[in-house]
Amino acid sequence: MPPKSRFTRLDAFTKTVEDARIRTTSGGIVTLTSLLLILYLTWSEWAEYRRIIVRPELIVDKGRGEKMEIHMNISFPRVPCELLTLDVMDVSGEVQTGVMHGVNKVRLRSESEGGGMIDTTALELHEGEGAEHLDPEYCGECYGAPAPSNAQKSGCCNTCAEVRDAYASVSWSFGRGEGVEQCEREHYSQHLDEQRREGCRIEGGIRVNKVVGNFHFAPGKSFSNGNMHVHDLDNYFNSNGVEHSFTHKIHHLRFGPELPDDVVKRVGKKGMAWSNHHLNPLDDTEQKTEEKPFNFMYFVKVVSTAYLPLGWERTGSILDIPHELVELGGYGKGDAGSSIETHQYSVTSHKRSLAGGDAQDEGHKERLHARGGIPGVFFSYDISPMKVINREARAKSFSGFLVGVCAVVGGTLTVAAAIDRMLYEGHQRVKKMHSS
Amino acid sequence: MNGFADKGLDEDRFGAKSPISAVKAFDAFPKVKANYTERTNNGGVWTVVLVIASVMLTFSELKRWWVGDTTHTFSVEQGVGHDLQINMDVVVAMKCDDLHVNLQDASGDRILAGTALKKDATAWAQWAHGKGKLRASRQERMVSSGSSAGSEEYRERRTGEYREEDVHDYLGAAKRSKKFAKTPKLSRGLQPDSCRIFGSMHTNKVQGDFHITARGHGYMEFAPHLDHSSFNFSHHVNELSFGPFYPSLVNPLDQTAATTDSHFYKYQYYLSVVPTIYTTDSKALRRIDKYSESPSSGSDGLDQHPKRYSRNTVFTNQYAVTEQSHPVGENQVPGVFVKFDIEPVLLTIAEEWSSVPALFIRLVNVVSGVLVAGGWLFQLTEWSKEYRQSRRRATTTDSILSPIDISREKSNGGYDISSSLSAVSQAGYSALKSPLSAVGNAVGDRKGF
Repeated sequence: MPPKSRFTRLDAFTKTVEDARIRTTSGGIVTLTSLLLILYLTWSEWAEYRRIIVRPELIVDKGRGEKMEIHMNISFPRVPCELLTLDVMDVSGEVQTGVMHGVNKVRLRSESEGGGMIDTTALELHEGEGAEHLDPEYCGECYGAPAPSNAQKSGCCNTCAEVRDAYASVSWSFGRGEGVEQCEREHYSQHLDEQRREGCRIEGGIRVNKVVGNFHFAPGKSFSNGNMHVHDLDNYFNSNGVEHSFTHKIHHLRFGPELPDDVVKRVGKKGMAWSNHHLNPLDDTEQKTEEKPFNFMYFVKVVSTAYLPLGWERTGSILDIPHELVELGGYGKGDAGSSIETHQYSVTSHKRSLAGGDAQDEGHKERLHARGGIPGVFFSYDISPMKVINREARAKSFSGFLVGVCAVVGGTLTVAAAIDRMLYEGHQRVKKMHSS
Repeated sequence: MNGFADKGLDEDRFGAKSPISAVKAFDAFPKVKANYTERTNNGGVWTVVLVIASVMLTFSELKRWWVGDTTHTFSVEQGVGHDLQINMDVVVAMKCDDLHVNLQDASGDRILAGTALKKDATAWAQWAHGKGKLRASRQERMVSSGSSAGSEEYRERRTGEYREEDVHDYLGAAKRSKKFAKTPKLSRGLQPDSCRIFGSMHTNKVQGDFHITARGHGYMEFAPHLDHSSFNFSHHVNELSFGPFYPSLVNPLDQTAATTDSHFYKYQYYLSVVPTIYTTDSKALRRIDKYSESPSSGSDGLDQHPKRYSRNTVFTNQYAVTEQSHPVGENQVPGVFVKFDIEPVLLTIAEEWSSVPALFIRLVNVVSGVLVAGGWLFQLTEWSKEYRQSRRRATTTDSILSPIDISREKSNGGYDISSSLSAVSQAGYSALKSPLSAVGNAVGDRKGF
């Protein structure tokens, strides 16, 4: 016997002496089973500890003066690029200038030829076709309209586009530019006729102020004058037998960066309900029409969304960098581990003919459409005051894991001891009954 | 027992040998022969207490598991919206021929709701029984719906608004009838002086404004001028809801009323509509895909989804309302104007239950925790008893026997000191363990000495 130390008196965990101890088969089986169970449960506690979950929160968006990026990829098989105009306006009717834009127009072959790409020309929102080989003294005539304010040479219309601008400023339709010297020099009407059967795909992104506004695709050159915003519809309606229409297919439309793939994998299936990755409502949708004067409207409500990975506080937020220094599409590409600021949206679609009419074909005879307007595809967006934050967090802390392990071990052993005891006692009584 | 093991005559040599009995070596739960254990009265009492505590805690855990957990989630509504269904049931104190109901929305459409809804002539007096006044303050409005304002009712209703929502209350709504009640027949002697406008109509799912105006005042019309003294825009709103029609769901404007004496009066309600889903099966919601209309928008959207949702999910819309009403001059347009806007955020209220294995683990944890804690408490009481007894004997006895010898007497076949100490505590511990077998054979405790 080991010498008695003063700790022996305090020993509350009594141990049965070897000789007085009984070992049974059932006890052994129960022991082994409980060991396996303990191992399994400990492993699941560990898995729970390592798991990262995403918790959504809803707060009021307190950002100020923020910008929003709109990335799109929309094709119009029945409107040539020459005719298509993209305008971005805010709620007061002001055309948004001075915003970063990177939108390309891709010419598509006509539908009968399969609608593939032809080539890409960069679209500038304010075209300035250079007139390089012209005499520096040259001052083109404006054919009755006042010269545009942004002309290369003030008071003169040196290019076809400037003449078009001048006509638009007084709301005169320009047509095919016959008789205008600048346009004949640039072979404008030939280009126009060649391209009549083509389609156009617009892709790229723009960055706008985060206010209520709209962006729209409409035919013809546009001009804004205070509250008025007009488009030159002449070439669209008088199209030499070619039936233009605003049938369109939205391949992709999102307001803000996409979530990177590894984040999506982490979110998993359970979180997909909130994720805007591949779940933008307007992705892969299309609407068709045969009528020329037809108008499609989408009402979009935009909700700011932020994704905060673990440890995001340590890396800087991309919102702190001034907007001018962040390239278009750069909001999602911050340092790995920084927060991702994006937007989700919900959308309602509506369509009507410009001649008015009712929604009888949809079964609602009582719905009368408005008359007038211009043909095109309009996206009106509204910003919601709520912001959705998706925060990554550990399912359990390390101390939580330890507590779980203790609970598992203790619980299993106690119950196993009780079961074993019951088995043993039962076995004893059965033996007694047999022997008596 | 002492010397037999040396001569190879131990327990292992006797009895049947089978491969399974090799497992015996792993037995980690010490068991002692019955005659080495002792049952005490104290132990029995503690056993009963512990069993009762375990049973009570097990019941409470089961009840907690049964009730489940309500989670509220916000998400952005998916899908491309198109239509929104409006269900309304309004009684206005003017003749039906004098009223126009129209809706104008942000897409430029104008909906002639008069053709989509039904208009029934009725008498104002038949609707004026005990309904709350709309003009009233928030607390009185909650007391409305069939009972007069009383302080007890008010307290009940006020706690009602902040009571935790139970999804099952709402699920019942989907099962009940979905039809508008019939207009009560005109009792004899009453002239029809009011109009009940009721029905469901579909509108565009955009910001809109529907209004009930008088003939000729508001929309241009070629008709004889309506005398201003016949204007009376007092109204009862029996039902105003958005989405699929569930009459038993209560919305803020349901069962409200407003009366006025002035002829040219303008009532304006500003609504903000939030799509809401109540469900007990949150996994099923993931099957809603984005290409079809949201089921919260109305029966069109609901019909596009499999019928099995109706059993455990209710798709509807909630709204918040603010109001403003004032008399207007004779050159302005009087009427009832309801301007609504639709929020992009969808609220999902789901009830979830943890799985049966998780429940089992919880029960095991609870029972084992009780047993271990009880065992330790019993140990403590035993020690304190020992301590008190030894103190008493130390002061009163003059026998030669020491406390240690006394304890040795208590245990059968006690050995030297350390084992006798262990035997004492063992006795307490076994006295605890033996009641567990008492559970098996339902024999009560036996008195020890």
